[in-house]
Amino acid sequence: MISYIIKRSLLSIPLLVIITFLTFGLNHLSPLDPAEVILHAQGVPAITDELIAETKAALGMDRPFLLRYMHWLVSCLQLDFGSSYVTGKTVGSLLAPAFLNTLKLTLVSAAAIIVLSIGLGVISARREGKMTDKAIRGVSFFLTSMPPYWLAALMVWYFSVQLDLLPTSGMDSFKSYILPVIVITISFTGIYFRIVRSAMLSNMNEDYVLYGRACGLPEQKITLHILKNSLQVAISVFCMAIPIILGSTVVVENIFAWPGLGTLSVKAIVSRDFPIIQAYVLVLAIAFVLFNTASDIINAAMNPKLRKATK
Amino acid sequence: MTRTIAVLLTAFIVSIVLLTGCSGGNAAKTGAADSGKELVYATAKDINDMNPHLYPGSLPAQGMVYESLVENTEEGIKPLLAESWDVSEDGKVYTFHLRKDVKFHDGEPFNAEAVKKNIEAVQSNASKHSWIKLSTKIVSANVLDEFAFELVLSEPYYPTLLELSMTRPYVFISPKDFVNGETKDGVSGHHGTGPYKLTEQKTDQYATFEANENYWGGAPKVNKITAKVLPAGETTFLALQKGEVNFIFTDDRGSDSIDVDAMNQLMDSGDFQLVRSKAMNTKMIVANSSKSDSPAHETAVREAIWYSIDRETISKQIFNGTETAANTLFSPNVNYANVELKKRGFDLDTAKQLLEKAGWLLEGGSEIRTKDGKPLAMKLYYDVNSSSQKSEAEFIQSTLKKAGVQLELVGEESSSIANRRATGDYDLLFNQTWGLAYDPQSTISAFTSESAYYHTTSGISKADELYKNIDEVMVTLDEKKRKALYANILTIVHNEAVFIPLTNGSVTIVAPTSLQGISFKQTQFELPFERMYFE
Repeated sequence: MISYIIKRSLLSIPLLVIITFLTFGLNHLSPLDPAEVILHAQGVPAITDELIAETKAALGMDRPFLLRYMHWLVSCLQLDFGSSYVTGKTVGSLLAPAFLNTLKLTLVSAAAIIVLSIGLGVISARREGKMTDKAIRGVSFFLTSMPPYWLAALMVWYFSVQLDLLPTSGMDSFKSYILPVIVITISFTGIYFRIVRSAMLSNMNEDYVLYGRACGLPEQKITLHILKNSLQVAISVFCMAIPIILGSTVVVENIFAWPGLGTLSVKAIVSRDFPIIQAYVLVLAIAFVLFNTASDIINAAMNPKLRKATK
Repeated sequence: MTRTIAVLLTAFIVSIVLLTGCSGGNAAKTGAADSGKELVYATAKDINDMNPHLYPGSLPAQGMVYESLVENTEEGIKPLLAESWDVSEDGKVYTFHLRKDVKFHDGEPFNAEAVKKNIEAVQSNASKHSWIKLSTKIVSANVLDEFAFELVLSEPYYPTLLELSMTRPYVFISPKDFVNGETKDGVSGHHGTGPYKLTEQKTDQYATFEANENYWGGAPKVNKITAKVLPAGETTFLALQKGEVNFIFTDDRGSDSIDVDAMNQLMDSGDFQLVRSKAMNTKMIVANSSKSDSPAHETAVREAIWYSIDRETISKQIFNGTETAANTLFSPNVNYANVELKKRGFDLDTAKQLLEKAGWLLEGGSEIRTKDGKPLAMKLYYDVNSSSQKSEAEFIQSTLKKAGVQLELVGEESSSIANRRATGDYDLLFNQTWGLAYDPQSTISAFTSESAYYHTTSGISKADELYKNIDEVMVTLDEKKRKALYANILTIVHNEAVFIPLTNGSVTIVAPTSLQGISFKQTQFELPFERMYFE
C-alpha cells in the first residue's frame, strides 16, 4: 500500500510541472504588454514609453521567457507568488485570506452536500419508482436547473429583505454562511445524490444482497451493506467535489460579496492582475491534482484489486 | 420512507428557521439607517492602497482623508490648507501662506516643512505623474518660514492652482508615514489632514472612516462613514432595500451601481432621495484622423457620423434621461468652453449629402457606400464591461447603416482600448473627457500626448496651429488671450469633428431622505461628505 501511495504521488509531479508551465505561458499569450497592464491597473492616468521601459526593467520583464518562468517557478516553490500589479501587495497576503474564506465556505458546503446526497440517494434508491423517488428527483431537477445567481437573488430577497432574518451579503457572522451554503448545496446535491442512488441501485441486484435477505438479515443492515459498497464509487466523486466547489464559488461569492478566491479572481481577471491570476490557477490546479491523488489512494485502500492493477 | 423524507425536510427547514430566528432580532439593528449618524456606501472596488501620491486608491476615500493647498469650486480657486497665496509677476514663483491650526490625524503639525517633504516625495516619482503637467514644471519647493512655502516653476503655467487642487497627487500625508523619506514605495500609515480618519480597512470587505474631531474646519456631523465592498447590481440593490447600505453614488468610471428602474423603486419606497449633479463630463466617440487608410481620416465622414447620431433618443432610451444629449466636446459650464460652435443635430439627409459630396456613393443596389472600390466600413471599439456603451454602439450602428456606413462593433477591456488609443490602431472608439475640475486643460493637453489623443488630432489639416495654440494657452498669463486661444482650439477640433460628443454624464447619489447638505465638488471623483448631516 505504501509503495502505491509513493508511486501515485510521484506521478502527479510531472503533471504539476506541466500545469505551472501552462499557467505561466497562458498569461504571456495576452496581446497586451504586461508593463502597460500594470500601469493601467495602478490607475496611472497617462502612460509614457519612458514609464513602460522603467516598469519593465523594474520587474525583469526584459529577460527571456524561459528564464522568467524558471525564476517564477522557484519563487512559487518558496511560496512567493510575486506582487499584485494593482495593489503592490504580495500575492500571498491577498490569496491566503481569500483562500481561507473560500475554504470555510467550501468545507461547510461539502459537508452539507455529502450528508444530503447520501441521505437523499439512499431514500430515493430504496423507494425506486415510487412517489418519494419521483418527488426527490423532480424537486432536485428543478432546483439544480435554476441558475445559482437567480436562486441566490431570490433567497436574499425573501430571507434577508422580506423576512429580515439574514444579512444580504458579506462575511460578518455565522449567519452570513447560511444563504451561500444553501445555494451551493442545492446546485451540487442534485447531481451527487444521483450518483449515490445509481450506485445503490446497481448494488441492490448483487448476489450478496440476495444472500443477506435469504439469511434473514434485517433490511436496515442490508441497506448499510449496500451503502458501504456504493460509497466506493461515490468517494472519488466526493473527493473531487471539494476542488470543484473551490473553483466554482465565483458566482456565489460575487453575489454574496464573499471575500474569497472567486471574488479575488474575478477582480484580478478584470484588471489583468496576472500574478494573482497565475497564483489562483495554480492553487486550484494543485487542489485538483491533490484531491484526485487522494481519491485514488482512498479507493486503492478500500479495494485491493485497484492496487494490483497499477503494479 | 415517506415519513423519513418528511422528517428530513422538516429538520432542514426548522434548522434554517432556528439558525436565523435565534439571532434575527439583531439583523435590523446592524442596518445603517437606524444609527442616524452613519453612512454606509457601496463600492464595487476595495478602497485599495490609500497612499495619496500613487494612483490605485479610491478617489472618494482619499478625498475624505487628504487635503490639498487650494480647492476648486464653482466660483474658482478657493483657500483650503493655504489661507492665501501670491504669484510672482513672471508667473514662476507661487508663495503660499498656510493655515496655522492644522494637524495631521496622528497629531503631527501641518507646516511648510511637511508641504515641502510631500511635494518632494511626489516629484521624486515624476514619471508616474507626467499626466499632470505641473509635475514637469516644478523646479524647487522651499520653506520660507514655519507657515510660508514657495513653489518655483521653470516657466509660467496657468493651471498650477487647478492642478494643486486635485485629489492627487499634490495632497498631504503625515511625514511620519513616509518610508525611508519617500512615498513611492508605499507608506506606513494613512494620516492626512482631512475631515475623516481612516480607522479600519478590511481588504475586499469594508473600510471605516471616523469624523476627525479636531478638524480645522469643525468636526463633520456624520460621524462615521463605511465603504462596503459589494458587486454592483442586484446585490447592492437588495442591500439598499434591507438597509445594510444606505448611500450609493456614481463610480469613478461614470457608471451607477444600480440601474434606473432599481433607483426608481427605491425612491418609491419614500426612504430614499435621488440627487444628481450638473453635467460633469462628456462621453464621446473619438475618430482617428491620422490613419490614412481609414475612412475616419476624412473630415466629411466624421461629420456624417456626427449627423447620424440621434443623441436625444440615446439620452431617453438608453440612459432613461439620466444623461443629457451633448453637442460639443465640453458642456458650456466647463471653464473657457462657452464658445459659439456650429450645431450638428441628428440629420440623416445632411449626413448622406456630405458623403455623396465627398465621393462616397451608393452603387447599384448596394447598402454600403464605396469610393474607388473601397467600402465605407469602420470599426468602433467599446468597453466590454459597459452595458451602456454596447447599447449605444448598436444603436449608432443601426442609424449609420441607413446612411450607407458599415460599423463593425468590437468590445474590449478598457486597458486594451487605452492601448489602441495610444498606438493609433483604431478607426473609432468610445472615450470620455476628464471632467469639470480637470477640463478643459487636461483633456486638451492630452490632444498632444502620444499616449492619449495624438492620433486623433494629428491627421487634421490645422494640426500645427492646434498644437501651437495648446502650447501657448498653458503658459500665457493674459486671461483675454487665453480665452481666445481656447476658443480657437475648440473651434478647430469641432469643425474637424474628431471628438464626436454623445452625452453629458453627471454624478448620481441615492441617499436617505433624512440626509441633508448633499452637494458636489467640481469633480466626478469625490463628494464633500463633511457637509452632510442628518435631520
